[in-house]
Amino acid sequence: MNYVMHLVVMINIYIVLTTSSNLLVGMTNLLSLGQAAFYGLGAYFVVLGLVVLHLPFLPTLLLAMLLNAGFGLLLALPSIRLKGDYFVFATLGFQLITYTILYNWVSLTRGPYGVPGIPAPKLLGVLEISGLVQYCILSLVLAFLVILVFNRLIKSPFGRVLKGIREDELSVLSLGRNVTMYKIEVFVITCAFITISGFLYATYVTYIDPTSFTLDESIFILSALLIGGTGNLKGPIVGAVFVVLLPEVIRFLGLPEGIAANLRQIIYGFFLLVLMYFRPQGIAGNYQVK
Amino acid sequence: MMNEDILQIQDLSKAYSRQVVNIDGVETNERYNIIFDLDLDIPQNTITALIGGNGAGKTTLFNIISGITEADSGSIMYCTKNQNSWISLLNQPPHRMKKIGIGRLFQDNHIFLQMSVLENMMIADSNEWGEMPFVSLFNRKKNREIEQFRMKKAKDTFELLFGRDNPFWQKRDDLASTLSYGQQRLLGLARLLMGKYRLVLLDEPTSGVNPMLANTICSVIKKMVDEEGITVFLIEHNMKIVEEIADYCSFMSHGKITAFGYPRDVIGDETVRKTYLGM
Amino acid sequence: MLQQLLVNGFILGSVYSMMALGFALIYNTTHIFHIAYAGVYIVSPYLFMACVAMVGLNPVLSFVIALLLSVIVSLSIERIAYYPLEKRRSPSTVIMISSLACMTIIINVIAMIFGNETKIINSSISGSLVINDLIITRPQYIQLSVSLFIIAGIIALINRTGIGIATRALSNNKLLCQVMGLKVYRFRLLLFALSGFIAAVGGLLIAYDVGIDPYVGMSMLLVSIVAVIIGGVGNFYGPILGGFILGILQALTIGFFSSRWQNVVTFALLIIFLLLRPQGLLGEKQRMA
Repeated sequence: MNYVMHLVVMINIYIVLTTSSNLLVGMTNLLSLGQAAFYGLGAYFVVLGLVVLHLPFLPTLLLAMLLNAGFGLLLALPSIRLKGDYFVFATLGFQLITYTILYNWVSLTRGPYGVPGIPAPKLLGVLEISGLVQYCILSLVLAFLVILVFNRLIKSPFGRVLKGIREDELSVLSLGRNVTMYKIEVFVITCAFITISGFLYATYVTYIDPTSFTLDESIFILSALLIGGTGNLKGPIVGAVFVVLLPEVIRFLGLPEGIAANLRQIIYGFFLLVLMYFRPQGIAGNYQVK
Repeated sequence: MMNEDILQIQDLSKAYSRQVVNIDGVETNERYNIIFDLDLDIPQNTITALIGGNGAGKTTLFNIISGITEADSGSIMYCTKNQNSWISLLNQPPHRMKKIGIGRLFQDNHIFLQMSVLENMMIADSNEWGEMPFVSLFNRKKNREIEQFRMKKAKDTFELLFGRDNPFWQKRDDLASTLSYGQQRLLGLARLLMGKYRLVLLDEPTSGVNPMLANTICSVIKKMVDEEGITVFLIEHNMKIVEEIADYCSFMSHGKITAFGYPRDVIGDETVRKTYLGM
Repeated sequence: MLQQLLVNGFILGSVYSMMALGFALIYNTTHIFHIAYAGVYIVSPYLFMACVAMVGLNPVLSFVIALLLSVIVSLSIERIAYYPLEKRRSPSTVIMISSLACMTIIINVIAMIFGNETKIINSSISGSLVINDLIITRPQYIQLSVSLFIIAGIIALINRTGIGIATRALSNNKLLCQVMGLKVYRFRLLLFALSGFIAAVGGLLIAYDVGIDPYVGMSMLLVSIVAVIIGGVGNFYGPILGGFILGILQALTIGFFSSRWQNVVTFALLIIFLLLRPQGLLGEKQRMA
């Protein structure tokens, strides 16, 4: 039972990651390889709030989201106008720089030693979320809220413009909507909401270090989203469930840990390759990336 | 008597440099004037046609007016709503054009095929309320009202243009890709009436549609001018249509306007007939 | 000290230049964002090792086999992951993801067979050249001479033969070349073979010096991409220039700060270029937005 609940928490963390990334990738066709950087920054900002500033749960989360949104804006302002590949390079650069700084600026982040003993968040100042059961519920609630917000967003007039942008930017421009501004907004919203996964991860594992937020993790998040599918709500959820459960399935094969990890990656790669050919919109998506 | 002008273009030039690789693999840069010292005035509340051969620079001219392409030199002045104030259109970003009342229909159907017919209309609404993120989530009542209003506006527009029992309103929830090519074109035109435009640029509105639909399109264009007070500037290859609906006609050749006047006169002009119509 | 750093940087830069040129051969002509290049890069050192250490073949034969198989891997990627997608006119992002998938597969297959740890091919540091206090190790002068030789060869190929003209035609006007048909496809295969060859040589040169692990391909790929961008896309001298700049810059970073900040410097340079001169040093001014 504990094992199942652990998986539920992990799935929820990835649902938040893929659902937020979906707004960026699935609605505005911006492929980002910097998602793990924002995931990591979010986790470190949460540590800043909980450990350094001793803030309660909600202010910590809001502060972290705000800070992450700020960093998102910082990256989006110069790079959002870049064409396809170049935007990917810019986010990739950001990912590597962020990782290197998190890893090497030891006096600020404790670098490779990581931050241990992250306290459990207290709800309303009293109810401490510590046990696995509470965590399971908290993560379910947060993931559900994120899905709800994104559902509403996509169906709002804002979402309608985004749908227009992913299909035909020129047309949206000629209808008088500032496409660049929309893309920046989407990027910043995505960064803000990714913080929630960072929050869940940091407080659940109670220890973070930079090696959880590498370029490989970025690729992993992107793969999860693309395997699940982009452009609707189902896709990211399917993707998150898939990537979290696949290793567990492989575990039953009884392979040594080292080989199992590689085999997992090979299977992800193979899935992506096959999907891109037969079903570029992903398993449950309804819109293919352009 | 000529109407007041809405658009005055003076000495407009645009050149592209293109790389040419010859048979020996030697690359040279060639400058190519697509528009050269072009002058043109568009009178208000009329239909002005722009005719000319392929590659004469017609679409480039449209792109410059709507801010998609930057001009090298010259000026484009646009008369705003209060009649005496003129603003320059050069170096304005394309999304600003809607705010000052300039709309555009592209040559190929730039409608949103993966969105419903109704969504295609609603996204074009002049009222942009709720298009900032989260705004509509915090004020859901207002959002509902405005969305209702947009829907009604779309319905009214369809009825104004295509009559009471039009296929567009009936198919409002179907994807725009299910419409026929001609209908998609009409949807593109109808969409322009959702915004508060004063000048619309139509790039070959009747190309690729059958004569029946072409007639409908002509009547829609006339309604735009007569009932909505819009000024229409259109590129058209069908001379019959030009003679039928246009008030003025301009002939473009090698990046310049070489003839301007009443359609009958321009089309009857000897050089135009020789160089363009081949008669 | 400074001189030694500059020499090290120049030698490292020569390998980077060659690798960047191999990436540009694909990127300039087909506009495929060839991420799987990182995978091709690590194939040859491992194959070479396997042939020498496990099968016991002689080094020259192993070398030839490693190069040949790398070329085959490169061609297979084109055949399996790119060509079918191009044929159905998939958007470039889909092809890029497909390439990413190929890279993941290759890296992990190799890691599964050979393990994750770093493998050393040559541990001898003997036979260094010493010229006026400057030390050039044996792997270094091999790197320098082989890289320069291959760069010169590729440039000669581009400039002198029909390949060069076709390459430039392809990078200037892809559509026109598609109309020309089958010949273009053969030509495309040739480009992938060449790029596979370059990646294989690069992989061996670096592995000979500092050893190899399955994940080094990624950092070499990133360096190649950055070199191509700062040098200028659409041009074959740009990547060479970019490679040398990066090599020297990285050597200076290692000398004056620490090797840990290499990535930051490289990508700070990339971001500066993306912002201020997205067409690169030698690139034609074009609209990037």
